[in-house]
Amino acid sequence: MLEAILVMAFGALVLGAALGYAAVRFRVEGDPLVEKIDAILPQTQCGQCGFPGCKPYAQAIAKGEADINCCPPGGEEGIHKLADLLGREFKSLSAEHGVEKPKAVAVIDEQVCIGCTLCIQACPVDAIVGAAKQMHTVVSAQCTGCELCVAPCPVDCIHMEPIEETVDTWKWKYPVVPIRQVA
Amino acid sequence: MAETIDVEVVYATPERQEVIGLSLPEGSTAGQAIEASGLLAKHSEIDLAKNKLGIYAKLAKADTALRDRDRVEIYRPLIADPKEVRKQRAAEGKAMKKGSGEGE
Repeated sequence: MLEAILVMAFGALVLGAALGYAAVRFRVEGDPLVEKIDAILPQTQCGQCGFPGCKPYAQAIAKGEADINCCPPGGEEGIHKLADLLGREFKSLSAEHGVEKPKAVAVIDEQVCIGCTLCIQACPVDAIVGAAKQMHTVVSAQCTGCELCVAPCPVDCIHMEPIEETVDTWKWKYPVVPIRQVA
Repeated sequence: MAETIDVEVVYATPERQEVIGLSLPEGSTAGQAIEASGLLAKHSEIDLAKNKLGIYAKLAKADTALRDRDRVEIYRPLIADPKEVRKQRAAEGKAMKKGSGEGE
């Protein structure tokens, strides 16, 4: 009887030590799931999902606090990818967070810009170059099209220009193949 | 990791925005970064006596020492006169938003 207890206790100790060591040795930095979700999100940092940026939204999805259909810039395609990754059911974009629009970049009307810096402060990705009483210019390559700079402009000099589909901007669409009943 | 800092130099026009990444020795100034970027040769319209400089939307002098990951920006002057634009908008009865003195 005593022998059996000792053997079991010894086994528990050895396995416990092995597990404890493995936890330290093979520790995973960060949450790999959050990284994967973040990679799918469009990185517009627009906040339309109700979170301060794409990463916080990714964390919320990973924790199960947010639904996968709150990202208008990601669109149906993004929701399909998230559904695939997380093994959840696809659902259409939730209307309260906005509608999917074609990709666009902000353009400043130079004839009207008064150099107030309000758009620069609003830009989540530092894509606007300018300072007080200097011309402001959008760096198109960095602009995510989040539209956050449009509202703060006191002279309404910023508008969004859709990006035309060219060889450089074309993207492979997410393949959506309907499932058919095969006899 | 021999003391170098990574900075960017930006000159933006509506048609073309140039962002040039540089690796400079620590203690370099904004002026040296612009010199190293080669933007002056490419854009003859830049006149450092007229075009103001800044680092991340804050005006700076050419002898300002840079820190790692700074973005040196070469600005262009405004076309519109802010006072005029505001007057016009007031005359047209459009409300000015934040930044105009009077609130919405």
